[in-house]
Amino acid sequence: MNNLLEQFLSEGRDFLQGIAEKLMQLENNPNSTPLMTELFRFVHTLKGNSGLFDFPEMTRVLHASEDLMDAVRNGRVNYSQELADQLLEAMDFVGILMDEIEVTEKIGTKHAIPAAELAKALRALLGNPESETAVIEDISPKNNAVISWADLPSLKLPESIAEKLYRYAIDGDAVFWLEYKPESDSFFKGEDPFFLMRQVRDTLWRKVVFNNVAQTLEEMDAYSCQLAFQLLTIAPEEELDDLLRYVPDETKRIEIPALAFVKPQGNEDDHPIDVEFINNALILLDVGDFDALTHAINTMLELSASELWSSSALRWVLRLIESEPDNKIAQQALLESLQTLIAPDWSEIAQTIPSTNTTTNSSTSVNSQVPDDSLLLGFHEVMNTQREILSLSPHLSGAWSEGRLKAVAATLLGCYRAVNHDYESETDAALQLALAENSPAPLLALLESSLADISKLSETPKLEQAELVAESAVQDANFGRRAEDVTAVAGRRSEDATAVTPNKTLKVDQEKVDRLMNLIGEMVVAKNALPYLANRAETVFGVRELAREIKSQYAVINRVAEEMQDTIMQVRMMPVSFIFQRFPRMVRDISRKLGKEVELVLEGESTEADKNIVEALSDPLIHIVRNSLDHGLESPEIRRTAGKNAMGKLLIRASQESDRVLIEIIDDGKGIDPDVIKNKAYEKGLIDEATLERISDQDAVNLVFAAGFSTADVISDLSGRGVGMDVVRSAVEKVNGTVGIESVVGKGTRLYLSLPLSMAVTNVIIIESDGQIFGVPMDLVVETVRVKRSQIRTIKQKQTTVLRGRIVPLLSLNDLLARNVEPLTNEDDEFATLIVRVHGEHVGILVDNFRETVDIILKPMTGILGGMSGYSGAALLGDGSVLIVLNPRELI
Amino acid sequence: MAIEYKKNLAVFSDFVGVEEAEALLEWFLKNPKGKINLSDCVHIHASSLQVLMAIKPIISVESKDEDLKLWLNTVLE
Repeated sequence: MNNLLEQFLSEGRDFLQGIAEKLMQLENNPNSTPLMTELFRFVHTLKGNSGLFDFPEMTRVLHASEDLMDAVRNGRVNYSQELADQLLEAMDFVGILMDEIEVTEKIGTKHAIPAAELAKALRALLGNPESETAVIEDISPKNNAVISWADLPSLKLPESIAEKLYRYAIDGDAVFWLEYKPESDSFFKGEDPFFLMRQVRDTLWRKVVFNNVAQTLEEMDAYSCQLAFQLLTIAPEEELDDLLRYVPDETKRIEIPALAFVKPQGNEDDHPIDVEFINNALILLDVGDFDALTHAINTMLELSASELWSSSALRWVLRLIESEPDNKIAQQALLESLQTLIAPDWSEIAQTIPSTNTTTNSSTSVNSQVPDDSLLLGFHEVMNTQREILSLSPHLSGAWSEGRLKAVAATLLGCYRAVNHDYESETDAALQLALAENSPAPLLALLESSLADISKLSETPKLEQAELVAESAVQDANFGRRAEDVTAVAGRRSEDATAVTPNKTLKVDQEKVDRLMNLIGEMVVAKNALPYLANRAETVFGVRELAREIKSQYAVINRVAEEMQDTIMQVRMMPVSFIFQRFPRMVRDISRKLGKEVELVLEGESTEADKNIVEALSDPLIHIVRNSLDHGLESPEIRRTAGKNAMGKLLIRASQESDRVLIEIIDDGKGIDPDVIKNKAYEKGLIDEATLERISDQDAVNLVFAAGFSTADVISDLSGRGVGMDVVRSAVEKVNGTVGIESVVGKGTRLYLSLPLSMAVTNVIIIESDGQIFGVPMDLVVETVRVKRSQIRTIKQKQTTVLRGRIVPLLSLNDLLARNVEPLTNEDDEFATLIVRVHGEHVGILVDNFRETVDIILKPMTGILGGMSGYSGAALLGDGSVLIVLNPRELI
Repeated sequence: MAIEYKKNLAVFSDFVGVEEAEALLEWFLKNPKGKINLSDCVHIHASSLQVLMAIKPIISVESKDEDLKLWLNTVLE
């Protein structure tokens, strides 16, 4: 990943966080202009940054958000909850994209549609949908999937290419019609539309339309794009999506069904083929004698010139027979068209074609979804054409006219069927009359009367058409606003310029700080070697002078090193607001979901702790807050009946207590009922009957931290999976923290976490046992005592002693470490005993001897040793030896 | 330069970029009967393409790039 992208992601996340924060603040203060302006600036900058990269989906959503924010800022649109929801959703989407970019460095094409939808939803909030809205609908493949025959471009393809395309479509390859009209200023955006179109693979037919607006060559502007590209391709849809994702508004894509390519063409002055041949062919088709039919057509083709329209039609009949032998309706329609020399209108025929194979199947089923209005429009078109045919040369005699009348009658009948009107008998009567009179008048009369009938139905589409026209007028009006847009952009730019202030903070990779931390750790260890050296100089070599000088130098180095260590610690410190800032959004979302009213109060956000500690806090805190919202706070009705304020209060407070951070989560909800907890715990087998009887209320409440405990009977997506609080406890204990809970039924619950400020330096006491030294973390050590052998009693084969009035079990460290050696005693026959606090109980550990306490930099065990939980790590001592630090919690 | 202008012939080579369009148009205005040699041309920017479409000059040598040739044939026929 390159630096720029890395920076974009890290900054982008900050912006997203900032945007969410500002939106939250706006919720309380919807009319604040400074907040609005800042919010706009965030979105604007983020959009600008995203434009540096190849992420059109992200830019699209951000652009829509920016427009919306701009409108809100200028008072054109009012801030609302709905608007905030939409914006938050958009920002979540951008966050998802960022996650994906972080992993794959690109955005999958699957996001294009959600992006377009989000942008559309955002723009819908603008009130007056801009042109883009309308176009976006076109690009979404959902709409592409509905093939409306009326929308199909009228293709004039050479027969050979049409045949090729037809075969592809029949074989199940989607053939796409692609039309791309670049904006006239696209060259200034660095685009090369021609190059883009050349990237489309498997283009089978292509056309460029040049629509020169200039009258003369001298007036022509080479840099105003007047081109339109059209092509037919069998490239996969995803590939086209990917290729055109920058210009979805300027492209139109339609999947063309196979039948659309079946379009006979040729010499227009052609004469219709002998009626007898057609009737014969139709009979053959009817009985399904394809061999004879093929033979007849081939003979006919040999007799006629190949460039004739009818020859072309006959060739198509052959192709249809070959590839869609079951599609008799299409074949019949094509044969019938030989009488009129007008290509069959497949849009109607597709309605009646039974499913023959997958392609036609899909096109028919799709067609049945075509709304009636487009069908009616098509119907009118066909009717008009028929009217023209009838009125062409009304007084021709002979078969020519007879064939034409029959064909028109057949077409009319087909049309009526398509619009669900039964005119069969009327059509038949009119045809007979027309044949008898040898005049098209009866048919014409039928056409007009039926048209009048059906036009009632067609009024709706006409209206809609009018609306369409009106809409396009609106679009045009919007285009006129471009100039305004340009000045608006210029305005924003200048705002940006003034907003740039010298930034005094540095963003440093955490790894670098960690490395500094390690180095200073080594330095402290190295420095600790100096006193040993001074000692040796004095005792071994007897140079006192030198020893003193080394000591004075050591003092200096010691001071600098400690200060350095302090400073680096400071660098690693971060305010707990880092994790607090996500709570407003979370509380808002969850409380809405649960239908509760919650006021969240955050205190002490500036309290600082080591980065690792703060990060380790994040998950447990989320868990706790969720629990409070789900189980703690009641719904408004219950609160009211309990005489409380309908709005619950959730307080999250951070404070510093000497070298620890204290985090409290306090709610004024229903509290925890110890009896319920007791019974639940008993049910789940966490406590036995005896414990159930004598357990104190506080201990009962503490049972919520037991593994596998859950009070919720129903598992929701919020809580109740029984992995809640014990996970919280273990996560907190991992960073040497403690967790506690206090609760009063009906009043509320207070949960508190106490964590060390820093994990870097650990204070340990060094102990000796069986000739080895070990470290034990001081925060576990209660006291060190010497216990006389005579004071040790054995209860149930366990050694114990009474210390200050309480029984303390005694364990030998040698036993714990599986060394078969008795602990040593001093001259007075006393055992050195280290009293440690483990899981709230005091335990004595018998060791050989105590030594000094030291500050060490604890390195966790890695590799194979990492699995040995009895040790919490190792550290280097000043003399270069390694000190193994025990983990009494696991050891005992 | 991707276009080399000779007396009555413009020789296109490699990628003809966006910056060539203006000069190309001017050259055609001065040499209305100018021909073009596309032999070594691989791609023409859309801006120059529309200049060619406006002028419809005679192509003295077609491009060796099959795809470009296909496109230009539909455009300049």
